Amino acid sequence: MAIMTIRDAILQTLHAEMERDPDILLLGEDVVGGNGTAGGPEAIGGIWGTSGGLYAKFGPDRVIDTPISESAIVGAAAGAALAGKRPVAELMFADFVGVSLDQIWNQIAKFRYMFGGKTRCPAVIRLVYGAGMNTAAQHSQSVYAMLTAMPGLKVVLPATPADAKGLLTEALRGDDPVMFFEHKTLYGVKGEVPDGDHRQRFGEARMVREGGDATIVTCGRMVNFSEKAADKLAADGIGCDVIDLRTTSPLDEEAILDSVEATGRLVVVDESPPRCSLAADICALVATKAFSSLKAPPELVTGPHSPIPFARELERAWVPSPQKIEAAVRRVLAAG
Amino acid sequence: MARLKAFTMPKWGIEMSEGTIAEWMVAENQPFAKGTVLTLIETDKITNEVEAEADGRFVRLIAEAGQTYPVGALLAVLSDGGEADPAEIDALVAGFKPVDASFAPDGDETPAAAPPAAPEPVAAAPAAPAIPDGIAISPVARDKAVAAGLDVAGLSGSGRGGRITAQDVDRAISPPAAPTLVGVLPPSPPSPVFATPMARRVAAIHAVALETIAGSGPRGRVRKADVLAAVPAPAPAPVPVAAPAAPAPGEVEVVAMSSMRRTIARRLTEAKQQIPHFYVRRRVRADRLLALRAAVQGQRPSVNDYLVKACALALMEVPQVNIQVHGQEIHRFADADVAVAVATEKGLVTPIVRAADRLSVAEISAAMAGLAQRARAGKLKPEEFTGGSFSLSNLGGFGVEQFDAIINPPQGAILAVGTARPEPIDDDGAIRIVPVLHLSLSCDHRAIDGADGGRFLAALAGLIENPGLL
Repeated sequence: MAIMTIRDAILQTLHAEMERDPDILLLGEDVVGGNGTAGGPEAIGGIWGTSGGLYAKFGPDRVIDTPISESAIVGAAAGAALAGKRPVAELMFADFVGVSLDQIWNQIAKFRYMFGGKTRCPAVIRLVYGAGMNTAAQHSQSVYAMLTAMPGLKVVLPATPADAKGLLTEALRGDDPVMFFEHKTLYGVKGEVPDGDHRQRFGEARMVREGGDATIVTCGRMVNFSEKAADKLAADGIGCDVIDLRTTSPLDEEAILDSVEATGRLVVVDESPPRCSLAADICALVATKAFSSLKAPPELVTGPHSPIPFARELERAWVPSPQKIEAAVRRVLAAG
Repeated sequence: MARLKAFTMPKWGIEMSEGTIAEWMVAENQPFAKGTVLTLIETDKITNEVEAEADGRFVRLIAEAGQTYPVGALLAVLSDGGEADPAEIDALVAGFKPVDASFAPDGDETPAAAPPAAPEPVAAAPAAPAIPDGIAISPVARDKAVAAGLDVAGLSGSGRGGRITAQDVDRAISPPAAPTLVGVLPPSPPSPVFATPMARRVAAIHAVALETIAGSGPRGRVRKADVLAAVPAPAPAPVPVAAPAAPAPGEVEVVAMSSMRRTIARRLTEAKQQIPHFYVRRRVRADRLLALRAAVQGQRPSVNDYLVKACALALMEVPQVNIQVHGQEIHRFADADVAVAVATEKGLVTPIVRAADRLSVAEISAAMAGLAQRARAGKLKPEEFTGGSFSLSNLGGFGVEQFDAIINPPQGAILAVGTARPEPIDDDGAIRIVPVLHLSLSCDHRAIDGADGGRFLAALAGLIENPGLL
């Protein structure tokens, strides 16, 4: 076990996997970092710090700077994957996935299906997402619900360094397209990471905290916030199951339903607007499959139905906070 | 009077959280022109120059070269060119609040407001005033309030636009009790088995080895219900048998049979010698039954209670098996009086659940609990264990897979049930591993034919496999 940040866990996993498999290549905006500057390649380093040293080790054929065109990045990745490579495409901001959406949902997600299972498209698209860094409405969004809604894609959101390594390794060893979401505020989060080969199966949620009174289902940055809320509630003797989904497609329905059957109270925390959100989806799952277990109406803790504001104070008010999560748990308990 | 301004650590790019002053390029109180390089700042990525945005001078340098400061920190005080009063500078420094004091990525924010307390329940008013039309209340809530004589004027509505809902009225009539808190639970042990978190927790509570359980979830995932199905059924409880004093090595201890033991011995010898037994066996999938049982909230009937009910209903369907044999006569019964074998310290007794076909599983469970307790205490009344039209013997609690039982005369048949064991079954052409019960029916061929026994087991299997019918 080594203690490291999510940023380093991702970087080290890329190093290790690219060494292991010569078919893996990385492409994205400024992943080499410094191309075109006086200092030359790698003078500056990619803006998220998740590609340092890759260019020096693997060269220009495997670490490729692209134009600022998500359509080109994802399209190239789709073609490379069809041709037998294992591309990792980095989208510096998940918000711009829209530009490449046809490549993703009509092509990458459907190749295997449209060709009768005779082809595979093992592309890993890394999408940097999330609010909390004062990056305004076009650089702060959490678009995982939209991609979760598309059959044919696996959608992954690590919240810990160990899961960043385990899930990225799993993505790079599998034969299916994976949407790998990295929250920009979580890059610096430190934690233990297993040494050696560490794979985390998709569709297997993590029980972060255990308690018998309410179930908090969440993912990404909100896991950390939910833990804070659960710790606060624990001081009052209220025990929460905190479930980190880890992957939203496939979704670990059993973990959610089993927990709600035990607690009867559900709070879903989702860093996105409420309409057609992951929170709404999980709420519908529980309403249809565990209705009789519910002792109180579920609570959804999401942002409002609005763009994410730039102003720091408004952004903070927009993002679900530990205080809002705590209040929601108290409401589901107050319902009797 | 000079106009003063704070000079702060700039933020270059969203990843930058702090910077180091490499060097001040101008001295304190040295006037400079717009465009002059004021300082060099290093970040973890680059070293960059900060140029003057306008003419001016530093009236005080605060940050020291070589030191690292967070984004937004006060580095120096600028003036628009003139000299400044030291008191004025001190006031600016003292009152300085970092504008750009970085975000709070760990969510440590001051709470906007305390979480709202639960609404105070409003006591029901004794009189039943008519509800004026002007009050926003749903039709169902109105009916409920009128029926309960509740004054809704003081209620705050939780519905659309503040409308009073039926739930609000319910809550006002009987305020919800504060929930009994379970509290924080210890973390479940990690397990390499593909199981849900709750399944791991339940397995730890019941000390069930997850490795031995076949998962019924997607891709063989072990679910909570699978673990609960593998937990040994509590009834018939394995009675702690008083261990007989061990004889010394090489010696045989001779113990006289108790009168109860003698009766058991005589009756069963007669039964086995005089009754032409034949056996009909059948495997039946029990996953749905176990899942149904696992879903029960509160007091959970035992698997055996469900089997009593299933036998009773199957006996109604195949009355040829619901009989007693007396010499040349066959006695048929309108109800299924199911005798259940219960192990006690002194030996086997078979208390009877009367008219089990007309009881619900919960009623059977309650009846069995009382009967079993009295049987173990040796306080059964004669009418509680004599008669009966059918017997059930379940050794599943001991892990027995399958066995054949001896008929309990004058009854015509007895069913022997083993443990629910994960086994492969043919599920519409697919192989699935689910808990399977082995049933063995012993019949008295003087009164019951093979076809009757087969029909009975078919009916019983249909009920166990579709436990919603129970």
